[in-house]
Amino acid sequence: MKLDPAFIWTAFVKLLPAIPITLYLTVISVLAGLLFGTGIALLRIYRVPVLSQIASGYVTFIRGTPMLVHLYLVYFGLPAIIDVVSESFGWSFRSVSVPYFVFAVIAFTITASAYMSEVVRSGLLAVNRGQLEAAHSIGMTTPQALRRIVFPQAFAASLPNLTNSLIGMLHGSTLAFTVSVVEIMAKAQIVASTNWKFFEAYLAAALIFWGLTVLIERIAARVERRINVYNRGGVA
Amino acid sequence: MIQLSRITKSFGRHEVLKGIDLNVGKGEVVAILGPSGSGKTTLLRCINFLERPSGGTVAIGEAKADGKHPSKKDIRELRLKSAMVFQHYNLFRHKTALENVMEGLVIVRKIPKEKARAKSVEVLEKVGLGAKIDAYPSQLSGGQQQRVGIARALALEPEVILFDEPTSALDPELVGEVLEVIRRIAKEGITMVVVTHEMGFARDVANRVVFMDEGAVIEEGDPREIFAKPKQERTKQFLKRITPEPNYSI
Ligand SMILES: Nc1ncnc2c1ncn2[C@@H]1O[C@H](COP(=O)(O)OP(=O)(O)OP(=O)(O)O)[C@@H](O)[C@H]1O
Ligand SMILES: [Mg+2]
Repeated sequence: MKLDPAFIWTAFVKLLPAIPITLYLTVISVLAGLLFGTGIALLRIYRVPVLSQIASGYVTFIRGTPMLVHLYLVYFGLPAIIDVVSESFGWSFRSVSVPYFVFAVIAFTITASAYMSEVVRSGLLAVNRGQLEAAHSIGMTTPQALRRIVFPQAFAASLPNLTNSLIGMLHGSTLAFTVSVVEIMAKAQIVASTNWKFFEAYLAAALIFWGLTVLIERIAARVERRINVYNRGGVA
Repeated sequence: MIQLSRITKSFGRHEVLKGIDLNVGKGEVVAILGPSGSGKTTLLRCINFLERPSGGTVAIGEAKADGKHPSKKDIRELRLKSAMVFQHYNLFRHKTALENVMEGLVIVRKIPKEKARAKSVEVLEKVGLGAKIDAYPSQLSGGQQQRVGIARALALEPEVILFDEPTSALDPELVGEVLEVIRRIAKEGITMVVVTHEMGFARDVANRVVFMDEGAVIEEGDPREIFAKPKQERTKQFLKRITPEPNYSI
């Protein structure tokens, strides 16, 4: 094999337009996952009858199965469900008009929700019980106490885990290429096979992912520093 | 002001409070004493429903709640009329001293920010922390943290303040500054219930002391009388154990 260094750059440039798709996949599924994950974590921490058992089952199933499997289950299962439902209501809507991207986002959200729920749960458990009690003692309602006192501290405590999960989802989002979503890896494959220069194209993709990852780490470090002012020691 | 009647509390099969009746008048300072595990903290926490009694009723002024089946609204009413100072301070860790004190004023009492700030600064100055308003709890000593805790309670101008061993987590040299602050606010006529192991403090500041043992009130009355001649055998024993031996050296 003969390396063509110049083509690495050519491929790199050709991959750049695919970055937004990768970021959308990652950011949307992580944010949605954070939302649902918080709900799941609260159900489990407050031991809500029935729902907390369902939530626990969901988390072990999703964490116990590969992300690619979630993607396939959604990709091959959801359209059938959509069509059956749509038909039974007499709508003209059919699953073929749903972009692949949407299926990928749904699948990744399902994955992220389970992982995020564990991140949020450990963050919440890291907050001392006395914080909630103090909030109650000054007359706050539980939602107020969660929003103003518990969540900010839980967020600070879970930032490192959150960053790891975000990076995991960024890298995992490459699986979307298996369902024809043209994110960075899919684009790399196209560039590679049309020019018959695989190594160069994938190396370019690697560099982009590395760059994105470093960027996330940098931002996280900054946020962490700002948010953790209060943890910096003092006298006591 | 506070009326507790027939308060019971069980953790599983362990009956921790065995039907406690206690009335605290307006402006009264009541000290609760008793051996470890006698249920003092549990009783105090039942007053603002941080712990839910298994039975009985709790009333603070007009607010009243059934122990076993309180409504959310009743619990909130009780909490709006009371404030608590915790053994381990429980300051909001991610907020500065000032923000800790402002939080309840702004979020619960809906007082405009500027007014709440002015009020909070004033109260922090009162507890001797005017210079520390922007410090986070992690940057304060235990005594300073507890004084912020007191300021947080005081700023709300509650009808009663509940103290759970406010000085027992402190290094001995820091106890004085906190007791001094409590002593001062007691003089202002705020109704207080103080669980404490500080006998000297109870004797000087309380209008009434209540002895608890094994989940029941075994004796109560004027501090001077009770410390001088306790009636119950268990009170005598407890006092003997806890008060330092008289010092005979010259
Ligand atoms: N959440 C709980 N679950 C189970 N048992 C509890 C709980 N809280 C308190 N207890 C038990 O209730 C009893 C009374 O506890 P409480 O904390 O009220 O005692 P106390 O008089 O405040 O003691 P101390 O002087 O050590 O603070 C103890 O036996 C304790 O183990
Ligand atoms: Mg106690």
